[in-house]
Order: sequence, then structure tokens, then C-alpha cells
Amino acid sequence: MRALLRAPAPRTAVAVRLATAAALSLTAAACGGTSADGRPAPAATATPAGTAVRLDRPLPKPELILTDDHGHSFDLVKQTAGKPTLMYFGYTHCPDVCPTTMADIANAVRKLPSADRRRLQVIFVTTDPVRDTPRRLHTWLAAFDSRFTGLSGDFGAIQKAARSLGVAVEKPAKNADGAYTVTHGAQVLAFSPSDDKVHMIYTSGTTSQRYAADLPKLIKGTL
Amino acid sequence: MRRLAAGSAVLVLVTAGAACASHNAGRDGPRLAVTGAYVPEPPMADMAAGYFTVVNTGTGADRLTGVTSDIATDVSLHTTTANGAMSAVKAMAVPAHGRLVLRTGGHHLMLMGLRRKPKTGDTVTFTLRFATSSPITVRAPVRPATYRPER
Repeated sequence: MRALLRAPAPRTAVAVRLATAAALSLTAAACGGTSADGRPAPAATATPAGTAVRLDRPLPKPELILTDDHGHSFDLVKQTAGKPTLMYFGYTHCPDVCPTTMADIANAVRKLPSADRRRLQVIFVTTDPVRDTPRRLHTWLAAFDSRFTGLSGDFGAIQKAARSLGVAVEKPAKNADGAYTVTHGAQVLAFSPSDDKVHMIYTSGTTSQRYAADLPKLIKGTL
Repeated sequence: MRRLAAGSAVLVLVTAGAACASHNAGRDGPRLAVTGAYVPEPPMADMAAGYFTVVNTGTGADRLTGVTSDIATDVSLHTTTANGAMSAVKAMAVPAHGRLVLRTGGHHLMLMGLRRKPKTGDTVTFTLRFATSSPITVRAPVRPATYRPER
């Protein structure tokens, strides 16, 4: 996101859309409960405000060809065309937001009729392709729903796709003490089956109930 | 409202079966209690998260400087910052008359080197160390990954 903000912003429709998305990821980050200096937020604002934001200008699905969690080539545009799709950028060495988000989605998916479950595509794109091999992605995702698709591959391609959707993704940085700093926007993007565009973005902290309420509409193309 | 919040905190504490310890480091120092500790069941056996709230009813600030656990050889303090970066921190502030809240999307514990995969219904032990106050040990239930504490 920092890089996105630093980039020159020509006054085009795309720039406006990206600015909207960037503002949105700031909102998402603000839900993290820490103020800018990293001190704990006052208890009064500690409730994670998971919100769904409808985009005035839907974002197109990015061209992205990666390797899925079975080791096969996966063409995002081709293989999810006309299918209701949720997409999330994260990594498996993430103890906090990533498993929480996937568990909330999986919980909502379990409540769907089986025909809807089969149509819905849930795509987890790793932001840490060096450590997230297809095999690891498969094992990690199977803990939530074995039907979820994990994608790994070239980091540059992943970052470019994420940025086109206003999701901040940085290469994991190994610190001097061996610990990693990982930057990734935690939004969940909902692509409509009607036009393959993102109409709704869910910020970190969105409840499973909210996904359960919205998924039938997403699947019908009426969200 | 304040009374209501305190009531629900007690309720969470009781239902969580978590231990709550209170230490007074002196009349003017911090006075800490830990509530609502839990571990969400992780997807794999190599790492997990931990959450709790440290309430400080004292007049002095304190800092959480480290945590150890019976279930992990390596427990680190992590923060998800405003720009979406997740990184380790050396300490977390516990303000006077305030609280330090660890919760999903913000401050959290990262547990690595797990001795076993925590399963829903298990209990994990955390010992919290502070700059000023004495260590506090709490028992944290393992919750389903979708669990969210009442607020």
C-alpha cells in the first residue's frame, strides 16, 4: 500500500478506483486496533469493525497464472470465469489474521446448499511463495475446506495482481534476529459471476455470519 | 456501561475457565489482571496464536516484556501495524488505568516450536512477564478457529 501511494497517480478512472481501494485498505488497517505509534488502542475502539464495502466502480479480475495447491497451472481469469469467487492474499506462516479469515469463510461455506458450495471458488493467493509450496498450501487449506484453492508462484506477478485490486503486498522481509516482517492487505475480494468483477470488499474482522448472509447473493450474482 | 463491561469481562473469564491473577507492585505502581486468554485451534501443527487482555487498575504504567508457554518453545509478541505489516515487538505497553488488548488483527502472541497441535478443548498455559509487575500465569482454553470473544 505504501508503494501504491507513492506511485504517480494519473487522473484516470483506474487511478480513482485504486485510490478508493487504497483508502479502503487504510480503513481495514485502522480496524487493527493499533494507533499509528503501535500502542494499544483505547478499549472503547477495540471492537474489530469488520465491514463490507461496495465498490461504485467494480474492479476487473487481474490476469494471473500461478500454480495451484495440487501442483497444476491455474489461470485465474479462465478457470474462474463466470463463477462466484472469493479471493484473499495471505500466507500460511501467519498465526493471526489469515487462519481467522479462512475459518470464518469456511464456516459460512458449510452452511450453503451443496450445489452452491460446488459453484463458489475460494482462492487463497500466497504472498510468501518461497515458503508456501503447493503442498504446504494444500495441507494448510485442508484444515478449513479441502475445496479451497491455494495459489503460489512468482512473487512479482502476485504483487502486481494484488495492487491492481488495491491490496498491499510486500515481499516477506527477514529481520536481523531471524524473524519475518510480512505486509499484506487482509481484504477479501468478492468477484461476481455476472461480470467477473469485484463488487464487494470485506475488511479484516468481517464475521462468519456476514459471509453466510452474503454468499448466497454472491453466488446468484445479485450481491 | 462501565459496570456492564466489567460484568461481561467476568462472564468471559468464568466461561473461559481462565485464571486471573492480580498483583500489586506498590501503592503507586501498576496493578494487573489478565482476562479472556485463549488460543484459536491452528490449521497446522507448526504455529499458533494467543490472545488475552491485561487490565491495569493501578496508577502506574507497565510493559509486557515476554511470554512463555507449556506448549511452545518460542513465544513472541507480534503486532499488526496500521500499514498492514505484521512484525515482532520487544514489549507492549500496559497503560495506567488502561488495558493491553491482544486480539485478532492487532497485537497477538505467535507460538512456534509447538510440542503438540492445540485442539479445541485443550488448555494451554501462558506465563506473562512484565517490566515492573511480578509474572502472571494464566490457563488459556483452545477455542475453535472461528471463536470471537464477547466484547
